[in-house]
Amino acid sequence: MPIDLVFFLRVLIFPGFAFLLAFSLFCDWFERKVRARMQNRMGPSYTGPIGLLQPIADYIKLLTKEDIIPAQASRLLFTVAPVLALSLFVFTFYYIPIDGLNIIPNSSFEGDLILVLVLITIAEFTMFLSGWSSTNPYSGIGATRVLTQFLGYDIPLIVFAIGPAFLSGSLSMATIAKKQTVPFVALTPWTFILFLITLQAELGKDPFDIPHAETEIVAGYVTEFSGRKLAFIEIAKDIQVVLGAALVTVLFLGGPYGPVLLGPSAIWYTFWFIVKVLAVIFLLEYVGSVAARLRIDQVVKANWRLMMPISLLALALTIVCEPLLSPLVG
Amino acid sequence: MTSVEEAVSLLKDKLGSKVIECKTPKPRRAYVLMKSGYHRDAISLLLETFDETGVSTITGTDLGSEIELNYHIRCRGPVVTIKNKVPKEKPQIMTITDLIPGAALYEREVFDLLGVVFQGHPDLKRLILSDDWPEGSYPLRKDWDPQILEKNAHNLGGQSSIVNGGEVEGATSSVVKVIVGPQHPALHEPERFSFKIDGEVVVDVEPRLGYVHRGIEKAAERLMFFQDVHLVERICGICNAAHTICFSQAVESIGNIEIPPKARYLRTIIHELNRIHSHLLLLGVTGFELGYEPLFQYVWRDREPVLDIIEMITGNRLLTAFNTIGGVRRDLKPDIHEKIKKTMNKLKKQMRFYKNIIEEDPSLRLRTRGVGILKPSSAKKLCVVGPVARGSGISMDIRRDDAYAAYDEIPFNVITYEDCDSWARLMVRAEEIVESIDIINYVLDHVPGGPYRVKVPRKQPEGEAVSRVEAPRGELLHYVKSDGSAYPYRVKVRSPTLANIISFREIIRGSYVADIPAALISLDPCFSCTDRMAFVDVNNDRKWHWSLNDIKRLKKRS
Repeated sequence: MPIDLVFFLRVLIFPGFAFLLAFSLFCDWFERKVRARMQNRMGPSYTGPIGLLQPIADYIKLLTKEDIIPAQASRLLFTVAPVLALSLFVFTFYYIPIDGLNIIPNSSFEGDLILVLVLITIAEFTMFLSGWSSTNPYSGIGATRVLTQFLGYDIPLIVFAIGPAFLSGSLSMATIAKKQTVPFVALTPWTFILFLITLQAELGKDPFDIPHAETEIVAGYVTEFSGRKLAFIEIAKDIQVVLGAALVTVLFLGGPYGPVLLGPSAIWYTFWFIVKVLAVIFLLEYVGSVAARLRIDQVVKANWRLMMPISLLALALTIVCEPLLSPLVG
Repeated sequence: MTSVEEAVSLLKDKLGSKVIECKTPKPRRAYVLMKSGYHRDAISLLLETFDETGVSTITGTDLGSEIELNYHIRCRGPVVTIKNKVPKEKPQIMTITDLIPGAALYEREVFDLLGVVFQGHPDLKRLILSDDWPEGSYPLRKDWDPQILEKNAHNLGGQSSIVNGGEVEGATSSVVKVIVGPQHPALHEPERFSFKIDGEVVVDVEPRLGYVHRGIEKAAERLMFFQDVHLVERICGICNAAHTICFSQAVESIGNIEIPPKARYLRTIIHELNRIHSHLLLLGVTGFELGYEPLFQYVWRDREPVLDIIEMITGNRLLTAFNTIGGVRRDLKPDIHEKIKKTMNKLKKQMRFYKNIIEEDPSLRLRTRGVGILKPSSAKKLCVVGPVARGSGISMDIRRDDAYAAYDEIPFNVITYEDCDSWARLMVRAEEIVESIDIINYVLDHVPGGPYRVKVPRKQPEGEAVSRVEAPRGELLHYVKSDGSAYPYRVKVRSPTLANIISFREIIRGSYVADIPAALISLDPCFSCTDRMAFVDVNNDRKWHWSLNDIKRLKKRS
């Protein structure tokens, strides 16, 4: 792709940086609204029409706040970790097909699924670093919890991701999405459900919001952060949620592909992408609303004793069913 | 059930020569003055003879040249008050913590406020006054002068009150000290816990109370009896009705005032409404602490109609100002009976739903079953009260054992669970709400007619009284002593949290950090306790105070 005006528009405006930011903020609003309605509350409703501008208002507020670095903290890590977390999540997004193409067209390659999973792992590690660098007992406990929990669910997550890759016979996200004439959620619902649960843990949502359980360890690894750095971490978390939902969309829901009715396909693909991502976020919030927070030892036990063998069984089941399912794969 | 006569004759038989004076002015109350130093014999005799005996609290009273110590020993229903006097010049007495460990905090309280030294107490140090309080100044002594605080103002806010967390004890140890509070999201009132944590396991905990100590016992001595009703109401916003009923009963007992039957029934209604909204509040907070936010939001939504009813009856949502000495201050109009019943029945249906959630929800069960175990034997030793005791299988309820208001005429069940964990304590409260709804429905059908209040003189005769009620959090005790004037000579309040907080150490040792909120909240702690703002710059040790005007000036400038 030549580096011209279209390239810059794609990278910076649509479907690149600006779109991602706006979409993540919208998803933030959507999440809060869904959670509020589940709890019989109103949710954001004053800033902008039906509270749509609330997340933006929150970030503007954070940007105006004093930015404090604790005297004992490791200054370099403490400053770099939030920026690194945000840039890694945004970078990962460049491998997700949004309007039928990647943000940088043709940057998709055989094996980018592995790259995306690796990038998510590294981004998770920056969250641990941000807590570890702030030398606060609460942050320290929060950070160790991030790692402990993460060691448990990262392997099942990758094993579950093998399922769709195996069915489509490709390790490229774009190809996996394109091959789903019948979405993999219909073909292998067991992998889909288990992937969602593991993703719930990956995103740190209830009942797995252990690393930032406020009644136990205040804000966990973000306790010492304020102002711009906190804004960076919060927005990174927003993008992480969208990224997680996008991953489900690509692996199980057929990515951005859906019926095209009128006009250019890119608009329809973006539309389907947004609808599917919102549906996944709704599911995640729904599960989060009906459970109490678990304890770290319970999660570790559940992950190693249950999730690991189950993930391998689920993969085996997919492999056994493959001859039956393969005619349905495009 | 033990009768008070039995207890008194036992003391007279076994320790006849040591008993100086013995009074039983009211049913289920006895005051036994022992020869100096023989209180231990009397207490251990009661503990050995009667099961379910515990120490309710210890009241210290300054009588001029000597300090009188009242050990309020509860033998289930009756309360036997063992009295002992120590000279003010040398206030020393033997501890009773070796007989009954539950007295540890009460002895520290008396040491803190009256300067009585309990010999043999394992950890005799300040309980509620701040660490920078002037040495040798005991505010509950009658000759105490508030001027001493002005003189020592430059010392207030000293270094000693600042504790740093995170220190590692010994180079090879992995134990880390984590300070929770005074400000922490899991605590809704200021309170400091210093936890020693090894990884995710709690090794030990030391609570520090007194962050909101307002000196109400001292203030009560300077107000008249009828004014004190409104003062004690402000001890706790949630169980205010329990405090006013308890204080009024104590004064009525001193003055031999018989309140009209209607007042007894109306007190019961407001007391039970109080219990319902307190328990609902706790169930909601439990949901919040365990990360189960929908439960929190739903329960608090259903708590609102209860507050609306309280507003309908009394004119206020929380601080009801409903009870007074001699009865209640407002009549209950029959036209709102139906409305109350309708709300109560709706709530009863909702409670079935919430009880089902607490019983069945797997994630809640994972977090509360087997967490925060308090064995019945430890519960007895530590003298815990209320739902905490009942969750450990101890059937103890002041409403039944030491009936007051209209409880002797109302059928109700005392809920106990044998599971001894956080879950059991939650279930006790959930079921008690249903019991309370039944009590209210019964009372509405049986309210007698007649007056709801009798006129009471301002001056009360000389005397003393111990009054107990079953507050939502457990046994609440007020001890009032009158010297024949319109002002009380001494008012002592023992709130249920002080009795229960001592068990927190027992409950939390060896469990996980994540269990701290679940275990703490199952005790339903309510910390009442200084308000003046002092600012300290730890780095250069500068101390100053901000007045309201300083703050206003600052606000204008910004």
